[in-house]
Amino acid sequence: MLNNKNIVIGIAGSGGEGIISAGEILVNAASSEGLFVFMLKSVGAQIRGGESSIRVRVSDLPVQSQGDRIDVLVVLSWKNFLRFKSELQLEEKVIIVSDTDDPMPDEEIPLTESQREFWYKIPFAKLAEEHAGTHQAKNIVMLGAISEIFSLPREALSKSIKKKFKYKTPEIIESNIKAMVAGVEYVKTQVVKNDPLTFEYQHREPRLVMQGNEAVALGAIYAGLDYYAGYPITPSTEIMEWISRYLPQRDGIAMQMEDELASINAILGASFAGKKAMTATSGPGISLMSEGIGLASMAELPVVIINVQRGGPSTGLPTKTEQADLMQAIWGGHGDSPRVVIAPCDVEDCFDSTVLAFYIAEKYQCPVIVLSDQFIGHRKESINPESMRGSKVGFRKIYHRDTPSAEDLKDYHRFKITETGVSPMSYLGIKGGEYLGSGIEHDEKGSPRGDAANHAKMTEKRWKKFEYIKEEFRFERFYGPKDAKLGIIAWGSTKGAVKEAVLKANAMGMSVGAIIPQIIYPFLIEPFKEFIKNKDRVIIAEMSYAGQFRRYLRGFLRFSQYGVKVVPFAKAGGAPFMVEEILNKIIKEWKEMEARR
Amino acid sequence: MSEALKSTDYKSNLKPIWCPGCGNFGVLSAIYKAFEELQLQPENTAVCSGIGCSSRLPGYINAYTFNGIHGRVLPFATGVKMSHPEATVIAVGGDGDGFSIGAGHIGHAARKNIDITYIVMDNNIYGLTKGQASPTTPLGVRTKTTYYGNMGMTFNPVRMLIAYKASFVARTFAGDPKHVQKMIVEAIQHPGFSFVEILSPCVTFRGKDQFKIIRDKVTYLDGVHDIEDELKAFDIANNEEHFALGVIYKKRRPTYYEIVMDKVTAKAKAASNGIAQIDKLLEQFQP
Repeated sequence: MLNNKNIVIGIAGSGGEGIISAGEILVNAASSEGLFVFMLKSVGAQIRGGESSIRVRVSDLPVQSQGDRIDVLVVLSWKNFLRFKSELQLEEKVIIVSDTDDPMPDEEIPLTESQREFWYKIPFAKLAEEHAGTHQAKNIVMLGAISEIFSLPREALSKSIKKKFKYKTPEIIESNIKAMVAGVEYVKTQVVKNDPLTFEYQHREPRLVMQGNEAVALGAIYAGLDYYAGYPITPSTEIMEWISRYLPQRDGIAMQMEDELASINAILGASFAGKKAMTATSGPGISLMSEGIGLASMAELPVVIINVQRGGPSTGLPTKTEQADLMQAIWGGHGDSPRVVIAPCDVEDCFDSTVLAFYIAEKYQCPVIVLSDQFIGHRKESINPESMRGSKVGFRKIYHRDTPSAEDLKDYHRFKITETGVSPMSYLGIKGGEYLGSGIEHDEKGSPRGDAANHAKMTEKRWKKFEYIKEEFRFERFYGPKDAKLGIIAWGSTKGAVKEAVLKANAMGMSVGAIIPQIIYPFLIEPFKEFIKNKDRVIIAEMSYAGQFRRYLRGFLRFSQYGVKVVPFAKAGGAPFMVEEILNKIIKEWKEMEARR
Repeated sequence: MSEALKSTDYKSNLKPIWCPGCGNFGVLSAIYKAFEELQLQPENTAVCSGIGCSSRLPGYINAYTFNGIHGRVLPFATGVKMSHPEATVIAVGGDGDGFSIGAGHIGHAARKNIDITYIVMDNNIYGLTKGQASPTTPLGVRTKTTYYGNMGMTFNPVRMLIAYKASFVARTFAGDPKHVQKMIVEAIQHPGFSFVEILSPCVTFRGKDQFKIIRDKVTYLDGVHDIEDELKAFDIANNEEHFALGVIYKKRRPTYYEIVMDKVTAKAKAASNGIAQIDKLLEQFQP
C-alpha cells in the first residue's frame, strides 16, 4: 500500500554482496532519525555464500509488522532473486532498482507489465569500481542511489556507513563514503524520477536497534542473571552468544554445556546454590530438557527457560518460525508439573517478558518458560530506549527470593506448607538451612515420602502458587473497541499482523477487537471472559496447524455458553501471518455477520 | 572458634534404604569420617546425586544435598560449584547412573576440570530396579535383562577417566573403609575434577561372595609410581586381572573456575571498566 510515510524495501542478491550489511546500515540510519523500523533477514541454508535477502520497513509511524508487500525491490543479482520469489511479494506498482549491467533473465522472472513501469537501472558495480576502487562497494552505491530516489535520510546514512566500518582503515571508510556519494550523484545527474514515492518523515530522538534474541539477553541481565548454561541451537543461539560476552562484565558466569540435558541440570544446580539462572534453546532442546523442567517443578527451583520456537516437529524448519510448542511448554513433562509460560509479542516485549520471567521464577520458586519464536528472535526493530532503562515498579522491581528467617531456621522445613505455597528458600552458605532437595516426592522437611496422602498435600502446595500468580498479574493487551462484536485472540509474534489488521479494519469502518495475553499459563481467565462476553464471533489466529492455542483456550472458556462462534484460523508456520491474511479473514467474518443481522 | 565437628554430626535423620550387607554402608561411614577429617562445614558442602541405590546417599548426610534425576549429577554439581566456588561439591552415584545414562557428561566435567569430586560406587549391576545389567557387568553374566548372559564388553572406568583427562583418578574398595576415607580426603583436597571409583559390592543381585571375590583381586599401589605419568596410569588401569587400589593418576591443572576468573572475567571487566551498567550495555544498540 503506497504511502509516503511508510516504505517497505526488499533487497535480494547473493551471499557475498553485502545485502545484510546494507540493510543494517539503512536500519541504523533510519533509527538514528527516530524512525520506526522492522527488518527481516532470509538466508539460504549454506553456511557461507549462497543467496540472501532482506526486507526493511521504515516508517514515520509505529509499525507492527514487516509489511505485506514490497514497495521498492532492489536487486543486486537477478539470478538469486528467484529463490526468494515466495518471500518477497511485490506491490502491483512496485518500483524496481537494479544493476544496469545485470540484465534480468526475462523468461524466468515473473513480473507483470505494471510491475515493470517504474524501473531504475544504475550501474552499481561499475560505479563502485570507479569511485571506491572495488566492486564490493556496490551495496553502498546502491544505498546512496535509493536514498536519493526516495529521499531517505542522507546525513544519517553517511554516519551509519562510518559507524559500520569504524574498525576498518580510514581508507576503507573513505572509499565507502565515495561509493555512497557516487550513487547519489549518478541519480541526480542521470536519472529522471518518474515514480510517486518520496519518503516523508519527522526527525525524532534516536531509537535503539536490536533483535529479539538480544532483547531477551538484555532482559536477563537487567533482571540480575548470575549463571547461564546452554547449548547452541538455531534460532536461539544469539542469546547465548550475547550473554557469554556480556555476562562476565557483570561478574556472572556463562557456560557452554555438552547438551541440553546438561544445560537444564546445570542451571538447576546454580539455582540450588542461590543464583539466578537461565538457559535458552529451541524446540528440540526443550524436548531434551523436559525431565529437568519437571525436576525444577518438584524441587521448587527458580529457573528461566527461553524457547525461541522454530518450525517442527523434529528438526523441522530451523530458520523459520512457528507457534507449535505451546502445549509442550504447558504440559510437556511427566506428572503434574506446574510451570509458568510467558509469550513475548515483539522485540521490546522480549525484554519485558524475560524480566517478568525472572520475577515470577524467583518469587514463586518454579520454572518459567518464555516462548519466543524465530520471527521475533531474528528480526530487528527500533526500540524506545526508555523502555529498557531502570524502573522500580511492578515486576521491573528486581525480585530476590525469600530466604528463611532466624525463626524458620530453628527447625527448617524447606517445603513448609504456607498460605501461598511458597516456602522460604535456603541455599548453600546459609548455616542451619541445610536440606535435601529432590526430584523424588518429599515431605515438608525434604525427606523422601511415598505415601498418597503426603503426595496429595505436596502436589497441592506446588500448584497453590498459581492462584497467587493469577491474582498478582492483570496485564493483557487489548486493541480496537471493547464493545466490538467481532474479536480476534492471538498470542506471541502473531500480535503484529493482528494489531495492524485490527487497526485497519476499524479504520475501514468495521468494529473489531483483539486480545493478546502475555502470561499464557496459568490462564488468567477474567480478561478473556470480559473480552468474549459481548462477542458474536471470535477468530483464533495462530501458527499451529493443529490449533494448539484454540484447543488450550477451549479448556477454559466455554465459548458456546456465551453464544460466541469460534472461527479457527490455524496455519502451519514457516512464514509469519501477513496483515492482509488476517484482514481478509476479518472482512469475510464481518460480512457474514452483517448478512445475518 | 566453634567446636570441632565429629563424624556423627554429618549424619542426617534419614535411615539408609540399602540391603543389609551392601557395600554402600562402608562408603557412607568413610564419607562421614572423611568429612570429619577435613572439618567440612555442612552449610558450605553440597553432596549431589542422580538416581540409583548409591544415589540415595546424599539424603543421609547433613549438608546441602540434592537427589536429582538419572544420569545428570555432573552438570548439576557443575552448576552448584560455579555458583558457589568456595563450597566443597561432591557428586555421587553408581555405575548405571554414571557410565550408562550419564556417560555423556563425564568427559566434559573432566576436560573442563570442574573442581568437584565424583564418587562412583561401582557394583556392576542395577540394584534399585532389582538386578539388570549395567555397563560394568562382566561379559557373560546372567542378569534379569541378560538372561543368556551379558553380551557387551565391560567398561573400564579408570581407563576411561584417564583418557578423558581427569586430573585425579583413584580406585578403592568398600571392603576397606579406611582406604575409602583416605581416597575421598585426597580427592576432595585435589583442586580440579577428582574421580574415585569405589568397588562397592551388591550382595543382593551380584551375590554374597562378591566381597571375597573382589578382596582376592585387589592389590594396593605402593605409592612410588609417578602419579603424573599418564602411560603408567593406563598400564595400571589395563590390568583387569587385579584391581590396583590407590591414587592412579593425579596432575594439577588450572580448574575451570580459575580459568574463568583469570581469562574471562578479568578480560571482560577490563573491557567494561568494572561492572557494566545497563545504560552502558544499551550503548551498543545505538544506531
